[in-house]
Amino acid sequence: MFITESEKILSEEYLDKGYIIRKIDDTEALDWIRNKFCLLINHTLPETNDIEAEELLNNIHKYVSVSKLNEFRLKIIQGINSEEIFREMYFRVARNYLEALVGNELAMQLRINLSIQLPQDDSSLLPVHSDVWSGDSPFEVVVWLPLVNCYGSKAMYILPPDKSAELVEKFAIKASGSSETLFQSIKNDVQWLDVSYGEVLIFDQGLPHGNRINEENESRWSMNCRFKGVFTPYGDKKIGEFFEPITLRAASQKGMAYKLPKSS
Amino acid sequence: MNKVRGYIFSRPFMGERVPQHVQNLVIRDYCNRNNLQFLLSATEYAMTGCHLIHEQVMDELSEVDGIVAYSIFLLPENAEKRQKIYEKTIVMKKTYHFAVEGLKFSNKKECDRIELIWRVRQTLPDCYRYLA
Repeated sequence: MFITESEKILSEEYLDKGYIIRKIDDTEALDWIRNKFCLLINHTLPETNDIEAEELLNNIHKYVSVSKLNEFRLKIIQGINSEEIFREMYFRVARNYLEALVGNELAMQLRINLSIQLPQDDSSLLPVHSDVWSGDSPFEVVVWLPLVNCYGSKAMYILPPDKSAELVEKFAIKASGSSETLFQSIKNDVQWLDVSYGEVLIFDQGLPHGNRINEENESRWSMNCRFKGVFTPYGDKKIGEFFEPITLRAASQKGMAYKLPKSS
Repeated sequence: MNKVRGYIFSRPFMGERVPQHVQNLVIRDYCNRNNLQFLLSATEYAMTGCHLIHEQVMDELSEVDGIVAYSIFLLPENAEKRQKIYEKTIVMKKTYHFAVEGLKFSNKKECDRIELIWRVRQTLPDCYRYLA
């Protein structure tokens, strides 16, 4: 394989741990994203106008109740997704790592997801799951981007590849009850991923992952978005309705439009 | 509020089949979310490759503000025919929406985006696949 030494290190780490966490190269793009979020929050909650970004995001539970959280989240995510360059900015924060792990002709999810987890809120939990179990292609990766420092129960967890392989072997037994039963059977093996603002997590969404009640004193803000090679197999999430090509190269564009001469 | 004509299929497209009432549900929801007045959908004939109803909808484009098709992939498979639809929509200053993808076009840049998705989709059968 003719990959560079740095790409090799990154690939081996991803294959070994099922994820990488790295500093973001393009901090300008990250700051653009966070500033846009703060502007949208200020617009929705005018009383927050003078609060600094980190403090505002970490303490959003002081301004939004659990009962209003989903409505608030939808308003913010619709607002941010309507920004024409938002997805490009999101891509920029992880571009180098994606090109090393996935390839340089990429398809990106059309709409980026937002997760806000208020302290002690049990209404926004993601039970243990593997995206591939519910129809995603195993060729996809998730770029998980926090807007605040995520640590402890404010973060997400993942089951490492070796333990995941064991689970797959015994899946019929371990998954016979609820997803909570499944979590209890793997809770000593899962790894909690501390990711700070300024870092990005790229993980294998085929590995079981999820979150629990945020028992920290701060709110979590994170986004997630899937990427895959344009010409790799698709699962239930198809080109057009879910993915869009974002970095098609000239040769592919030529090839897709090519017509053989007619012989008759 | 902009008036838009719905457009759905009565046959499979790109190897997929969606019940007509489900196509209409998705279109209605898209219109609600985008503040569009949904006019009853025109349903394409079931014969393979037939786009007669679509041609009629395009002929009546001047009477509405745009079209909402269930999916990008209800457009004709033939690239030249798609091109004509892009051009007519732009010339008539209308907007063509695609409900399930949440995409639309009303200018050249947006048409290029739709066309790229089409071309990749048409190329995928030649790429490798995995069996779950």
